[in-house]
Amino acid sequence: MSLRFSFRFAAIAMLSVTALHAQAPAADPVSMLRGAIDEVMAVAYDTKATTPLVERARPVLAKYFNYESITRRAIGPGWRQFTPEQKKLTTTLFSELALRTYANRFEVGERPGITYGKPVMLDPTRPALRELPTTIDYAGKKYAVAYRIEQVNGSWLIYDVNIEGVSMIANWRSQLDPVFQRGGATAVIESLENNLTQGPVK
Amino acid sequence: MKQSRLELIVGVFVLVGLAVVAFLALRIGGGALLGADTYPLKARFTNTGGLKPGSNVLIAGVSVGRVDAVTLSPTDYSALIEFSLRKEVRLPVDTMASIRTSGLIGDKFLALSPGSEDQILAAGALISDTESTVDLESLISRFAFGNVEQKKTPPPAKPPVPEITQ
Repeated sequence: MSLRFSFRFAAIAMLSVTALHAQAPAADPVSMLRGAIDEVMAVAYDTKATTPLVERARPVLAKYFNYESITRRAIGPGWRQFTPEQKKLTTTLFSELALRTYANRFEVGERPGITYGKPVMLDPTRPALRELPTTIDYAGKKYAVAYRIEQVNGSWLIYDVNIEGVSMIANWRSQLDPVFQRGGATAVIESLENNLTQGPVK
Repeated sequence: MKQSRLELIVGVFVLVGLAVVAFLALRIGGGALLGADTYPLKARFTNTGGLKPGSNVLIAGVSVGRVDAVTLSPTDYSALIEFSLRKEVRLPVDTMASIRTSGLIGDKFLALSPGSEDQILAAGALISDTESTVDLESLISRFAFGNVEQKKTPPPAKPPVPEITQ
């Protein structure tokens, strides 16, 4: 029960992020996050929807997630050795895998309550990076979820989600970097393709 | 006369020996024996989990530096870790810093996971992507005590209250 519960929570936290781009980008990162999460809730908790959640969440992600940045950070130092074609393919595969991983574990249940904290400038020398701390109140318990965002061409895009101190990027990097060390870019691409062929789309 | 001179020499020798031992102890404790060719870096965390000055800094399990200081920010109550890294270890700006533990109850250390950016962290720079220590006790307690909401059973139906007529 506990593991299933934790997966459900992670899925909610992740899918909350997917809403970020359904709204027009706001100048203020917090306003954007608020509006976005409202929209993602509408998508994720739409019990009348007939299309799979993955399909409904994909366009939202595509608009506001920084796929290239997330994939690059998740691969780690090996990314420099990828060819432009491999980078493009890996970004597509990894984005799809991340979306499916969390969407497949999402279960419609109690709606979480979200409290927004004050944005934090991560590094004064890099003002385009921010962290948006939030507290998610789900099923009677509170969880700390921080969204790390970066400003790209005037838009704020998410590049990492930190749930209870565990970074999504760090988690993926710890898995993908060893794959790269073993077999290079080809091994990473094969690994992502193998993972995508397993399991049905919910 | 000879006796007192001999005692003086022995005393000086002992003092010099003690000074050398003290100097070496301080150098080893501060990690300076890693080499003088180090440069400082910083990282901000919401929870250090008790990481102390002198703790190891590791990349891929290899010791590459030491934690110099752990201080609390008076404004946002975050922890700022200052550490020294070997000069030959150059890190991209998207390097991630995580606080880890050796085993379940081992010492804390700072783990660095290099990123992929071409831009390199300069001396004194701040690592912005950090992963604080995971509070295992808190996580276990949250899941161990179950979900009150799911176990909540509806209250039994109350018997009808008879109307009081006056």
